[in-house]
Amino acid sequence: MPNHWLSPLVALLLAASPAAAQAPLRWGADAEGGAPLVEADPRDPSRMVGFDVEIAELIARALGRSPQFVQVAFTSLDQSALRGDFDIGLGGIEDSPARRQTLGVSVPYFEFREVLTVRESDRSRYHSLASLRGTRVATLGGTLAYDLLRRAEQTEGLTAVSYDDDVHPYDDLALGRVDAVLLDHILAERAVGRTKGLVIQPEELAVGHYVVVTAPGQAALLAAVNRVLLAAMADGRLEQIFRRWKVWNDDQTALHERVRAQGMSAVGGSLLATAAATPVRGREALVRFTPQLLRAAVVTLVLSCAAMGLAVLLGVLIATGRVYGGRLMRGALLVYVEVVRGTPVLLQLFLMYYGFAGVVRLPAFVAALLGLALNYAAYESEIYRSALQAIPQGQLDAARMLGFSRWQTLRLIRGPQALRLALAPMTNDFVALLKDSSLVSVLTVVELTKQTQIMATNIGSWLVPGLACGTLYLLMSLPLSHLARRLETRWKLEGA
Amino acid sequence: MTPVVSLAGVQLNRGGRPILRNVHLTAEAGEVVALMGLSGSGKTTLLRLLARLEVPDAGEVVAPPAGLVFQFHFLFEHLSALDNVCLALVHVHRRPRAEAEARARRLLEELGVGHRADALPRHLSGGEAQRVAIARALAVDPPVLLLDEPTASLDPARRADLAGALRRLAQSGRTLILTSHDDDFVRAVATRLLVLADGVVVESGDPGTVLTAPVHEATRRLLRQERVE
Repeated sequence: MPNHWLSPLVALLLAASPAAAQAPLRWGADAEGGAPLVEADPRDPSRMVGFDVEIAELIARALGRSPQFVQVAFTSLDQSALRGDFDIGLGGIEDSPARRQTLGVSVPYFEFREVLTVRESDRSRYHSLASLRGTRVATLGGTLAYDLLRRAEQTEGLTAVSYDDDVHPYDDLALGRVDAVLLDHILAERAVGRTKGLVIQPEELAVGHYVVVTAPGQAALLAAVNRVLLAAMADGRLEQIFRRWKVWNDDQTALHERVRAQGMSAVGGSLLATAAATPVRGREALVRFTPQLLRAAVVTLVLSCAAMGLAVLLGVLIATGRVYGGRLMRGALLVYVEVVRGTPVLLQLFLMYYGFAGVVRLPAFVAALLGLALNYAAYESEIYRSALQAIPQGQLDAARMLGFSRWQTLRLIRGPQALRLALAPMTNDFVALLKDSSLVSVLTVVELTKQTQIMATNIGSWLVPGLACGTLYLLMSLPLSHLARRLETRWKLEGA
Repeated sequence: MTPVVSLAGVQLNRGGRPILRNVHLTAEAGEVVALMGLSGSGKTTLLRLLARLEVPDAGEVVAPPAGLVFQFHFLFEHLSALDNVCLALVHVHRRPRAEAEARARRLLEELGVGHRADALPRHLSGGEAQRVAIARALAVDPPVLLLDEPTASLDPARRADLAGALRRLAQSGRTLILTSHDDDFVRAVATRLLVLADGVVVESGDPGTVLTAPVHEATRRLLRQERVE
C-alpha cells in the first residue's frame, strides 16, 4: 500500500542521482580581501563573488560537477593542495617554478603587472624600488611581489613587510605605517578606488600570471582544466568574465593568443627567470633559514619579556586598585578584567592596531607589545589579587598595631609576600605568553612562528621548519618552567 | 593614681548580637589584669577593643597606643625574627637601622630567643614564635601590652619563664592585660582577674581569692572545665 505514494519519490531520487553520483568539484581560495578575484558578496556574505569564482564555476560546469567553495588562507594554499583539501585551487595563485615543481599547474589565464602604490603626497618621491631606500614596503606574503621585495631588501636597502591579506597593506599605507605597497595591478586598482589619497605608479616592476593548481599526480584533472580554460579563451567566455569585472585589457588578448598557440611554454621565459630561486629542501633549507629563525626567536623573546614585565607591573597596579580602591575604581577595574578575559586576544590585537588607528597610530611592535601586555595584565592582576587576599588578616592587624600606615603595610608586608605567592603562577603565564606572542604576526611583526611559516611556504614543507620552530620554543620555555618550579619550592609560605 | 586604661559602659554588637555588654575596666601602671572565660565569652574581643582594632557601639574607651601579641602570633612570614622586631622601629619610628637591630637583639636575648634571630617564622617552634611576637610588640616600647592566650603554645616550664618575664615588664611600669585559660599561670602573674560570661563581667578581684572561692556559677564552670583539661 505505501508503495503508491513512495514510488514517485524513489523515481525522483533516481532521476537526480546521475548528478549526485558526480562528487562536487571542491575549489580552494581565500575570500579574505581578495576582490575582485574572490570575495564574500557584500550584499550576501554567504555567497562568493569575483572573476575567479566564475572561472571555478565555469570549470565545474564543463566537468559536469557542482562547484563547492573551500576557504583556505592564501599563504596555505599550496600546502592545502598537497594535502588534497580541494580538487583545484585558484584565486590569484601565481605561476612560479616552485609551484611547477610541487603541484599540478594549469595554463596561465590572466596576466598581471606588479605595481607600486604610494600616498598621493609621495607621488614624485617614491616611484621605483630604488627610491624607497630606508622605507617600509608592504605586500602579501608568499607572492612574487614578496620575493621581489625580499631581494630589494638586499639590493635597495628597504624593509619588506609581509601581510596575510591584500587589504590591510593599503590601509596601513593610508595610515602612514608603510610608505608603499607592491602588489598585482588589479588589487592596487581596487584599493585606490576604495581608499582616498593613494595613487598607482605607472612603472611596472614585473609581470606575473594567475594559474589553477591541483594536487601533484592529478594529470587527468589538470588536463581537463587546461582543456576548459583553452576552450573558454577560444570562444570568449573568459573575456566576458574579465570584462564583467572590468579587468580586461590588451595584455589578456596577447596572453590568450600566446597560450592557445604555445600552451605552458607561452610564459616560460622572462617571468620564470625573475621569480624566486628554485626552492631548497632538508638540511640546506635548515642551514639557510637558521639565522632568520634565530633572529625571529630573539624577537619572540624580547617581545615576550617586555610584554610580561609590563603585564606584571600593570597587573600589580590593577590588583592593588581592586583591593584598596574606592567603589568606582574597583568597579572600573573589574569591568576591565572581565572584558579583557572574556574576549579573544586576537580581536584585541586587531582593535589595538587597526581599530584605534584613527585615534592613535601605533607602530606594529609597540601595538603588539601593548596588546599582549594589556591582555596579560588582566590575568596577572587576578593572580596578584588572590595572593594579596591570601595574606592573613592577623598580619595586617599586627602591622596596624605597630603603627604602619596602609601604604607601608602594602609596601613592606603584604605586597612582598603576595609577590612571592604570585611568582610561580606568573612564571607559568610567562610560558603561555611566549606562545601567545605568535598571534602578533597578524600585525606584521615577524616573530618565530611567522618566520617559520615563511620558511615553510618557501620550501614547501612544514616538517623541518615546524620541528626547528618547536625546538626553539622549548629552549625558551623549559628554563622558565624550571624556574617556576624552583621559585615555588623556595618561596612556599607555610599555612598561606 | 590615674588609670592608664579605662573602659566605661562598653557595648559591642556583631551581626545584631551583643558580644560585650556594659563592660567597665580600669587598669593602672604596673598592673597585670587577666581576663578569663569560656570560649566565646568576649575575652579576645575585649582585647581587640583595647587595641583599637574594634570600635564600640556604646560606651567609652580610653587607652594609649598598645602592643598586641596575637594568639597565633601573625609574624611577618617573609622576614627573619630579627627583621620582624626591627621593622616598625625603622619604618614607623625612623630609628637608624643599627640602633633598631641592637634593640631587637637585646629584646630577643631577654626573651631567650636571641639565637633564633636569623630564622624565618616558619622555622620557629610555637614557643619561639610566641616570644618573637612579644619582642616585636615591645620593640616600640608601648605603655600597654595586650596578650591573647600567651600560654597557648608553651609547655609548663616555658610558662613559668613567661610569667617571670611578664612580671618584670609590669614592674618596669607597663600595664599588662592578657587572656588565659590557665588558672595557675593567672595566679602566678596577675594582680587582678576579671571573669567574663556571655559578654558580661560576672566576677572580678584578686586572682587568688576569685579562683579559690568563686562566687559566680560561670567561674565555677570555668574552673571545672580547666581541671578536666
